[in-house]
Amino acid sequence: MNFTYPTTLVLHALANGFRHGFDIIDATELPSGTVYPILRRLERDELATADWEDHAIAREEQRPPRRYYELTPAGRAVLAEARARFRVPRSIAARARRLRPGESS
Amino acid sequence: MMPRVPLRAALALVRVFAVLVPASRRAEWTAEWCAELEHRSRQLARRSDSTWSADVDLIRRALGALPDAAWLRRQFTLDADAVRDTVHGLRMLATTPGFTVSVLVVFAIGIGATTAILSLTDALLVRPLSLPDADRLMTIWQVNRETGQGRLDVAPANAIDLMQRVRSFQTLAIAENWSVKHTVPGGEPQQPLPAARVTETFFEVLGLPMLYGRGFAPDDYRPGANRTAVLSHRVWSDRFGADPSVVGRVAIFDEKVPYTILGVMPPGIELRLVERSRRPEPLVWLPRPAFDGAELNNRTQGYWNLIGRLAPGVTLHQAEAELAVLSANLAREHPKTNAAVAAEIVPLRAHLAGSLHALLPLFLGAAAILLAVACANVATLFLARGASRVREFAMRQALGASRGRLVRQMLTESLLLATLGGTLGLLLARGALDAVARLRPPDIALADRVPIDARSALIACGVTLLAALVAGLLPSLQLSRPAAARALREGRSSAGRRTHSTLVVLEVAAAFVLAIGAGLLTRSFVTLVHTDPGFQSDHVSVLQVFAYARQNTPEKRTLFFAELVDRMRALPGVVAAGAVSSMPFGEAKILSDRMPFTIVGRPTGTEPEPLINIVPVVGDYFRAMSIPLLKGRLFDGTDSPQSPAVALVSQGALRQFWPDADPIGATVRFQLLGRRYEARVVGVVGEVRHETLDRPARAELFLPHAQSGFGSMSVVVRSAPGSAVTIRMLKEQVWALDPALSIYSSGTLDQLVSKTLTGRRFNLLLLGGFAAATLLLATAGVFALVSFSTTQRLREFAVRMALGAQRSDIVRLVLIQAVALAMTGVAIGASVALQLTPMLRALLFGVTSNDPATFVAVGVALVAVAAAACYLPARRAISVDPSLVLRRDV
Repeated sequence: MNFTYPTTLVLHALANGFRHGFDIIDATELPSGTVYPILRRLERDELATADWEDHAIAREEQRPPRRYYELTPAGRAVLAEARARFRVPRSIAARARRLRPGESS
Repeated sequence: MMPRVPLRAALALVRVFAVLVPASRRAEWTAEWCAELEHRSRQLARRSDSTWSADVDLIRRALGALPDAAWLRRQFTLDADAVRDTVHGLRMLATTPGFTVSVLVVFAIGIGATTAILSLTDALLVRPLSLPDADRLMTIWQVNRETGQGRLDVAPANAIDLMQRVRSFQTLAIAENWSVKHTVPGGEPQQPLPAARVTETFFEVLGLPMLYGRGFAPDDYRPGANRTAVLSHRVWSDRFGADPSVVGRVAIFDEKVPYTILGVMPPGIELRLVERSRRPEPLVWLPRPAFDGAELNNRTQGYWNLIGRLAPGVTLHQAEAELAVLSANLAREHPKTNAAVAAEIVPLRAHLAGSLHALLPLFLGAAAILLAVACANVATLFLARGASRVREFAMRQALGASRGRLVRQMLTESLLLATLGGTLGLLLARGALDAVARLRPPDIALADRVPIDARSALIACGVTLLAALVAGLLPSLQLSRPAAARALREGRSSAGRRTHSTLVVLEVAAAFVLAIGAGLLTRSFVTLVHTDPGFQSDHVSVLQVFAYARQNTPEKRTLFFAELVDRMRALPGVVAAGAVSSMPFGEAKILSDRMPFTIVGRPTGTEPEPLINIVPVVGDYFRAMSIPLLKGRLFDGTDSPQSPAVALVSQGALRQFWPDADPIGATVRFQLLGRRYEARVVGVVGEVRHETLDRPARAELFLPHAQSGFGSMSVVVRSAPGSAVTIRMLKEQVWALDPALSIYSSGTLDQLVSKTLTGRRFNLLLLGGFAAATLLLATAGVFALVSFSTTQRLREFAVRMALGAQRSDIVRLVLIQAVALAMTGVAIGASVALQLTPMLRALLFGVTSNDPATFVAVGVALVAVAAAACYLPARRAISVDPSLVLRRDV
């Protein structure tokens, strides 16, 4: 697993409860073309798992169900290691408080 | 409600990119992206802040799906298809070991030989030399216009005149072959080290900074200056412990003489200025004292070497023109000695490439033929395999494999084989280059440590791989569905048979051409080895002894050599012992140039004086060499310094100077080492070849050593077969008389003769190697074709056998095919070879370039080999059970 700075940011965003691709893009301010391959790699290396959200929520919002990602214990360990290497901006945590799903609207 | 335009555009983009995503994940991937986009769009709508920038942001995020899709495709291709193709490819290759091994061998030979010869060419002709601006460095040699012999060492007076008069060189330097013994206090007596004495401009000409210390300066040449030396890198690391602090220290050379070490040369400098003496490269460089009187007048004995740097703006052509004029002037000024003397300029690079320089085009041609045959071979192997896999591919196509998938499969297999074969080929090239460095004749200095040239390897690998790809892909590309269906039904295909036969015929033709070249060289070599040199070289040992430094008067030297030869003769097992100044095939060339002489009583015209080689001999030289006495008597104990001067002449001299008269009783006048002789001819002895076996014998005039007191002699000892006389025992006899005398070189006469054949042996080995490799490939090609067509004709054979054909009839059918192919190939090859072999003329000896015996022998051998290649296929054809074959596939 190569710890690029963007990878660390994505891990950090996941740890702070950003679960969907576009939300992670918002939180990290990275382009989508960077974030998605990182998510694929995290999933391939079993640092994150992915699943589909409950159909009920999707129906309620009249849209297709979204895919969400969660860190595995290994992913958390990697993040701890990555944090030691890169300084993670506080802004993500701050944005997490502002934008946490459910609290945003 | 209709989705907004930006959302529709974004979704469309994602769906386009989805094509890239591997099919197994495509649906899920599209759903994820669409859900995100829709969610985003809805969120924006809900917040009703759908500004222009938010729309742009949506499209930008959709564009990010492209790298995502590409990433997944790459993973998929790497993880899945390629791996699966590779595994499948390896499995397929393992199931057909015959094919796999053949292709690997062909790849290895084709790539290996081509890479090696191209790398060698690069090193010899292209790669910069380790000297600065080396393309301006030239070596200068003497040419004998009468005999056509070139690359001769330059006579001192000629060299001095050239140095003073020439304008087209910026600087010129002289190097003179020398040797010193390095004495370590308390150490063993050492073999002399090859050395060179050079003029003060020598290191300036090379333009080379020393590794440590400095080169010679004018002060080192002043009379009475301290003795100084420059060490080569090799002697510095071998004998001085590679210690930089040796600079400025004193080394003891030649027993007791102290030399201050001035500098150490950088590694890898080899100049091969000692061309003619075939000696190793000098290890120690010494300053040459000022020219003495003898040197200023010596125009007959060549033993100096000239190296120079062209003046700025002067071309090689201009320099050659100037030297031609200067040589003509010298010939006019000194008609007796210089009438036939010219000078020749050889660029240092060409000089270092030695005899290979002229031969490289030949070997490159051979390599090109070999590479072409390798390509043809790879192509036939792949064509045959493709044909035999038509069913496999048809089956896979019927099961839904796309043509792209099949092409990729073939590609993977070809690449696998090319990678493995290429690796083997590069190993082979390395081995071949190392062998070349080991076996090279000494004159090809640049052939040492040749690195594999990356471009050469790429060219060789690329060409072979291309052949494999074209031949491998053709069948899978041609396989359209109707054809596939037909193939499934019929189980065989006849396509490509003619291409295949044509390729094999061409392979045989190419093998024939190279085999003819190798055959002609072999015949020349055998003829040469069996050439009578005029003496018998078995059981003869030779020691070259320089006695000048220790025995300083002619009387002492006469006594010394007479006593030495007597001691040798007294050894048990010794049949005859003698000594001679210019040893046939000897390493140091002593008195090797002809000198003027006159026959008393014969009118001298205006033409230059006759020239002859004058040779002092001691004791039983002629018996030791088994040179026959043809007339008169040999020298004996009565020929002393006090008795009248006598001489013997060789048969060659007899033919040249007494064509229809009896030389015995004639009186000849000549000078040797400043002393005048008037000697009576008392006998005629057989003539001997001197430098190489392919040069005719020379005219010689012998005089007894007792009447000359010459100091540089080769002691020649013939021992009885089976006796235990060793070189060591002979050396001990020398040291018993004088423990400090240096023995310049020693060995058996067989070794000396054999050394002169190194160059021919090398050429033979190189061309023979190419011929053998090509022959192997062509044989493999015949074998592959016959096996392939036998397999395809099994039904035909079965029918014939069922109808009563005998096994011998079937074998004949198989043989006829192979022999017909081989004979066609030989016929084409012969017509090509007849055009090409005249290029070999310079390398041939005693055989013409269209030697019928060689052509017939090689042709018969090739047809026989082709017939032998049928052994396995023919056995297979007769060992099948007709009933089984006929029932199958019906």
